[in-house]
Amino acid sequence: MAAGFEQTAFTNSYEFTQGAGYALPEYPFVVPAELRSGEVSHHPIVIAGGGLAGLTLACSLARYGVAAVLLDEDNTVGVKGASSRGICYTQKSLEIFHRLGIYERIAAKGVQWSVGRTFAGADEVYSFDLRQQSAYNLSSQPPFINIQQFYVEAYLVQRIRELGHVDLRWCNRVSAFEQNDEGATLTVTTPAGEYRIRADYIIDATGSHSPFRAWTGASFTARKGDDRWCIADVRFRTQQPHATERHTWVQAPFNENRAVWQHPMGDQVWRIDYQMEPDADPQYVSREDVVRERLARHFGEGCEVEMVWIGPYAYRSECIDHMRHGRVFFMGDAAKVVSPFGARGGNTGIADADNLAWKLAAVLKGRAAAALLDTYHEERHEAACQNVLVTNRTTRFLRPAQGAETLFRQAALGLARQYVFARQLVNTGRMAIANPYTRSSACDGTGGLPVQNVSFEWPDGSAGCVNELLQWADGRLLLLRFGALGRGALERLRALVQAAPVRCVQVVGVGDTVAAVEHVRDVDGHLKGACHVFGHSWALVRPDSYVAACGDDIDAALVRAIAQSMGAAELDRDCA
Amino acid sequence: MKTELNLQDADSFYEQLLDAHQGLSREQSELLNARLILLLANQVGDAQVLKECIEAARQVPK
Repeated sequence: MAAGFEQTAFTNSYEFTQGAGYALPEYPFVVPAELRSGEVSHHPIVIAGGGLAGLTLACSLARYGVAAVLLDEDNTVGVKGASSRGICYTQKSLEIFHRLGIYERIAAKGVQWSVGRTFAGADEVYSFDLRQQSAYNLSSQPPFINIQQFYVEAYLVQRIRELGHVDLRWCNRVSAFEQNDEGATLTVTTPAGEYRIRADYIIDATGSHSPFRAWTGASFTARKGDDRWCIADVRFRTQQPHATERHTWVQAPFNENRAVWQHPMGDQVWRIDYQMEPDADPQYVSREDVVRERLARHFGEGCEVEMVWIGPYAYRSECIDHMRHGRVFFMGDAAKVVSPFGARGGNTGIADADNLAWKLAAVLKGRAAAALLDTYHEERHEAACQNVLVTNRTTRFLRPAQGAETLFRQAALGLARQYVFARQLVNTGRMAIANPYTRSSACDGTGGLPVQNVSFEWPDGSAGCVNELLQWADGRLLLLRFGALGRGALERLRALVQAAPVRCVQVVGVGDTVAAVEHVRDVDGHLKGACHVFGHSWALVRPDSYVAACGDDIDAALVRAIAQSMGAAELDRDCA
Repeated sequence: MKTELNLQDADSFYEQLLDAHQGLSREQSELLNARLILLLANQVGDAQVLKECIEAARQVPK
């Protein structure tokens, strides 16, 4: 037995070992101005790391017209060795990408799916169709799209270049860091030499190997397991599996009764992910002939496949205790690492970026108090903890400890074959959701919930969606007033939008009178439902499509809610 | 969590439980118990009651 897994056990990496790989785009290294001038430049925002989280943040800032510098250590997207990493993007992520302007590209390349089936042996023990669930079926975006991560990253790079504002610096690796009252200073190593750059805010999106963790002395809560897997990304030359379903086996007869994942991706590539013995040798299990043998057991001797990528992996679970350390904000895998089950890694990183982007933009544009930036930790740390909790539960089902854990899994699987209720105990991953914020000082008790990208009608009868309203608000808060609107309230709203960073729209339902020029029609009540107003008559929606607060009258309470969601309110957790 | 008697027929339930385990190996008994716990838990349903039951079961008197 090789000692190799001892290393992979801590990397959380998807190591490339075999396969034809993918051809990834390469971006040119440009000698930074600092190297020519020899001066230390100063920037409001420097992002370290050009993965999903870093690029989503950069793209979002670019859309708000906020300047930033992004430093990436290599000259391409994806991981060195052309791995595909994350493959499954949630509705919330797709809605964010829609706002950023890359959703169409993703939809064209990726594979939509909504049906998941779980098997134990030959029996189906659990299944779901997300399109049948009310939580998913009203958005303009589907429940999920599967696509190789590097495609998403490449589209983000493309989009950032279209938008401008962000200086993308390839082959720029951060090699040292310090911070004080004046700013944070990074030392950056490039092929043309080393230079220094200063920033007001640093965003660490460098992933699970983040050097900023040690530089800032950040503490973590971690948990290590011994679960081992081996991915084979393949293209079938003969028969294809079911193209729009995710199949998972808790116990696959063709994998010595261990788990198997079968996911479609773009380019007709399939991700087949096999659970290994905890003490398996990563070199051996990922050897091409061994993988081909495994695939033949799974799909039959006659199946012909092209190996696109093979890689063994191990995962760990860890969560940073504070997502902000002085001028440094941690996001994505730099902040928390989870097992891949439920697609809660990359999707949370995207949500981290979406959460921080509008706050940074609002503070830099003078629309919000600097205290708003602290709510990034409050909101995204709650989400991170929740995602760690949920993924650890899945891990425990898929790799139960000997004794009682294995016994209860056996009991649950047996009952799931017989009775409907027990199917809910079969846990092959709970798909990522847009996490609610229950402890944020920027949301009151009526807010903190995500708003889906539902449709409505513009005054001319054409179809609109929430993202178009958010785009129109352009980084300001969006006040949706549902139902009738009296003359007094209309006057107060006019005064409010003059004084505060808010844009206001009347949402006209069936039988309501149009009072405001800026109105939309919500005949089916989908917009009202999406805003979780529960009988209230206004909802304050943030640029990240979360409700900050709901209320009734256009009065002082609304003014307070606006101030609170822009970071001006006193922290009062007990009341939240 | 109810601590007063709620069983309609305590003696017959107890007897059924013992009978079900009769002739089973230790392993088979353990599996039966695990299945029974999950089945009963679904009858209870209430998360708070289940939590209190688990806590109560952990407190073995000395």
